[in-house]
Amino acid sequence: MRRLAGLLALALLYGGSLLVVRPDLPRLWAGLPRLSAWLGGAFPPDFSGLPDLLHRAAETVGIATLGTTLAMLLALPITLLAARPVAPIAVLYHPARAVLDALRGIDGFVFALIFVAAVGLGPFAGMLGIALHSAGSIGKLWSEVLETADPAPLEAVLTAGGSRAQAAAVVLLPDALPQLASALLYVWEFNIRASTVLGLVGAGGLGQELKNAVDLLDFARVLAILAIIVALVLAADRLSGLLRRQLG
Amino acid sequence: MLRVEGLSVALEGRRVLRDIGFAVAPGEVVAIEGPSGAGKTTLLRAIAGLVPVAAGRILAPPSALVFQQHALARRLTALENVLVGALGRIGFWRSALRLWPAAERAEALACLERVGLEGMAGRRADRLSGGQRQRAAVARALMQRAPLLLADEPVASLDPDNAAAVLALLRALAARGDRAVLLILHQPELARRYADRRLRLEEGSLCPG
Repeated sequence: MRRLAGLLALALLYGGSLLVVRPDLPRLWAGLPRLSAWLGGAFPPDFSGLPDLLHRAAETVGIATLGTTLAMLLALPITLLAARPVAPIAVLYHPARAVLDALRGIDGFVFALIFVAAVGLGPFAGMLGIALHSAGSIGKLWSEVLETADPAPLEAVLTAGGSRAQAAAVVLLPDALPQLASALLYVWEFNIRASTVLGLVGAGGLGQELKNAVDLLDFARVLAILAIIVALVLAADRLSGLLRRQLG
Repeated sequence: MLRVEGLSVALEGRRVLRDIGFAVAPGEVVAIEGPSGAGKTTLLRAIAGLVPVAAGRILAPPSALVFQQHALARRLTALENVLVGALGRIGFWRSALRLWPAAERAEALACLERVGLEGMAGRRADRLSGGQRQRAAVARALMQRAPLLLADEPVASLDPDNAAAVLALLRALAARGDRAVLLILHQPELARRYADRRLRLEEGSLCPG
């Protein structure tokens, strides 16, 4: 019976998705010549004005780095309220989890859109957007790390007359540091990727250049920007992986 | 020193301890024996205040617990782990910033020396051997200065020489007359040698005699 209900739910999900998306292979087929013409026109990639592109790339890294750092500062107090072993006020546990879910549920892109309206165009709006969304992600990951940590050292603190706050600060956080730092690096790496498209809403970074190039159908420029984005993401991925291995 | 009267404990709806009653006098070493699952660890945890009591009462002074699996913080040094035993006496910020008072630090070093770990103070807990971890856990319990010492299989991971050294230390602590030791031991010969009295727990109840 449960299996049947599961199959029915899956069928509804797929059926509903097909109904609203309306995949149309003939349309894709008809568009292929246009795509191939653009691709042909993209070679060789146009790296003219490289300093400008690199400046935009630096903006992207800056948005991700400062956004993740601000997110970490926002996430820390909420995490301590939202992790059962250290939560000092039980009644605040569920509201703290709800705040994390709400922040995580709204994409950084959407937050950036709102901040562009509030503080104007540029990377500052992007950083704020990234920070709010990432605070939810970091808080969620961190609270799960703390909730799955070995409770025995924490009990040792409590039986020694220490407080929950001491247990968190002296024992739990240092012990969970590699996992906490690993989660933070993962979010930073994700944010490098996310920051590349923030420019589409005027929030700075390489996305801004990308949007300009697509609007002008300048595909040689688009290819150059995509190459820089891929190099940036791969470099962030390697650096984050290296640092995470060092933390073990 | 310790008086347990009509103690019952239920965990996840299952009655783990039933109507337990016994007393431990100052200076006494009492060993608890019994098969796995008899409720020995739960009894110690109830006395330490880590599990709620369903019925009965426990009259106990402040106690220190040596956990079965050491319960050391892996990334802290042996010395810092011993200082965890003093957290009840140190303020939040001093402990969070690891600004340990000099007197507490000196006492922690002395505790490490008493368990034979004087050369290991700066070594991280996850780089100590199983036996060294167990001794560091005993040192942390000593650091609590508690009149009642509870030890859950404190020699389980020790070789015979180290096991004898730790039990002799616990025995010596009790012999001063101001402390009592209640410990779980699986080795009857060690219990006979180091304990003044032995209690047997089976299926959550104390066996008579």
